[in-house]
Amino acid sequence: MNDEFLSLLRPFLRYAGDRPIRAETPLRDLGLDSMRTIELLFAIEETYEVIVPDGMLTDATFETTGSLWAALEQLCAPTLDRNAR
Amino acid sequence: MNRRLTDAVESVRSAAERHADTGDRAAEFPVEAVSAMRATGVLGLPVPTDHGGLGGSVSDVVDVTLALGRVDMSVAMIFGMHCQQVLVVAKHGGQRLVDQVLPDIAAGEVYLASVTTEPGTGGHLLTSDSTTTLLDGGAVRIDREAPIVTGGRHADAFLVTVRAPDAQSPAQVSLVYAARDQVQADVCGGWDPLGMRATESVAMRLTGSVPAHQVIGADSYRRIATTMLAPVAHIVWSAAWLGTAVGAYGRVVRHVRDPAGRRQFDPSSDLLLHRLAATRARLDVVHALLRHTVRVFESGVDVAAGPVQMLLNTLKTQSADDCFSAAHELVELTGMRHGYLPDSSLGLERAFRDLRSASLNYGNDRLRLASGALALMDAGVHLA
Repeated sequence: MNDEFLSLLRPFLRYAGDRPIRAETPLRDLGLDSMRTIELLFAIEETYEVIVPDGMLTDATFETTGSLWAALEQLCAPTLDRNAR
Repeated sequence: MNRRLTDAVESVRSAAERHADTGDRAAEFPVEAVSAMRATGVLGLPVPTDHGGLGGSVSDVVDVTLALGRVDMSVAMIFGMHCQQVLVVAKHGGQRLVDQVLPDIAAGEVYLASVTTEPGTGGHLLTSDSTTTLLDGGAVRIDREAPIVTGGRHADAFLVTVRAPDAQSPAQVSLVYAARDQVQADVCGGWDPLGMRATESVAMRLTGSVPAHQVIGADSYRRIATTMLAPVAHIVWSAAWLGTAVGAYGRVVRHVRDPAGRRQFDPSSDLLLHRLAATRARLDVVHALLRHTVRVFESGVDVAAGPVQMLLNTLKTQSADDCFSAAHELVELTGMRHGYLPDSSLGLERAFRDLRSASLNYGNDRLRLASGALALMDAGVHLA
């Protein structure tokens, strides 16, 4: 995961506060509800200029920071790799 | 329903019918109807047979809720929501908890109330502002305010949503089973609403501690809420509302066919027939939606999937709107005397007030927001 991704994510996680966001933390526990999920999806699609296909719009994709990052890597690996930590 | 259950339900229905008007006027819990549920085993309908219950399915619970709704929506809501809680305990409770409580529920000794509303969250199931503390030895201390607890004053136990013992955010929630004698259950507010008066849904504060094995779904609460707690709530509420509307409709049709009614209504009037047909259509559509949703729910599909969640939400919002509209149309059709006055034997005035609560009982607006977000995630429009 890179910093750009984490700072894109943080505004949608109303319970995350200033705590570090870990790959395995369930996003729902940090406050990502269904309404925020759709807003996050649009933010990801605009920022990374991708279209997330229907088949990936599942609970599993939005389960944790790590699962969402993995999905994003599948969609646009070369761009992300530049800044990966 | 088999013969034994049919007879049992008839005895509950008859007790509910006898006391419906007094319970409504006094806004008091239907003690007689619930006593009949205890005595006949109906209160243990959803308890699996190996724990002494009738082993009823969600579909059976719907049948009974519909039947009770025909005479008293409050009784139907009380029964349906009790069953919702019991189904959750039976399916998701640990072995020790189910062995401890299910036989008593089956024996009619436990009316289990739901404590999901909170001052800060309304009826939202997925967050909680209450506090719980993990005590030495694994017990869990609860301190929970609840603005609306259906039948709370009369409950023998409570299924309570609380913030999980080790939660770092309000979105980490657990479900705790608390018997009345394990907690201090203070009633701290009255109940004098427009309708659903006999649910006696008082404000309460629950404090006390329960053993750790009475926490249900410590790690999987979200899944329980989205695949069991909320879906079954929507199903039993819809059954209670539809039962209420169907009961009111039946009484109107019977009245129109009566010699006395025929003096007020011309049974061959085009307007009357059109109105009866239009209202009947609402009931048929809600019934079809209810039965379809139950079939999908019981089919083993992933209930958490977007299309299924949207269907469950639609059942709730649509049946709330249509059942109330049906009552409204019946009031319009019968006029001032039978539609508006509380002493009419048709009971439309009470059904109308009761059904007005349907869209507010977990607000339709909030549910449509959630469904709208899910709809945007399903451009392929996969219908469940």
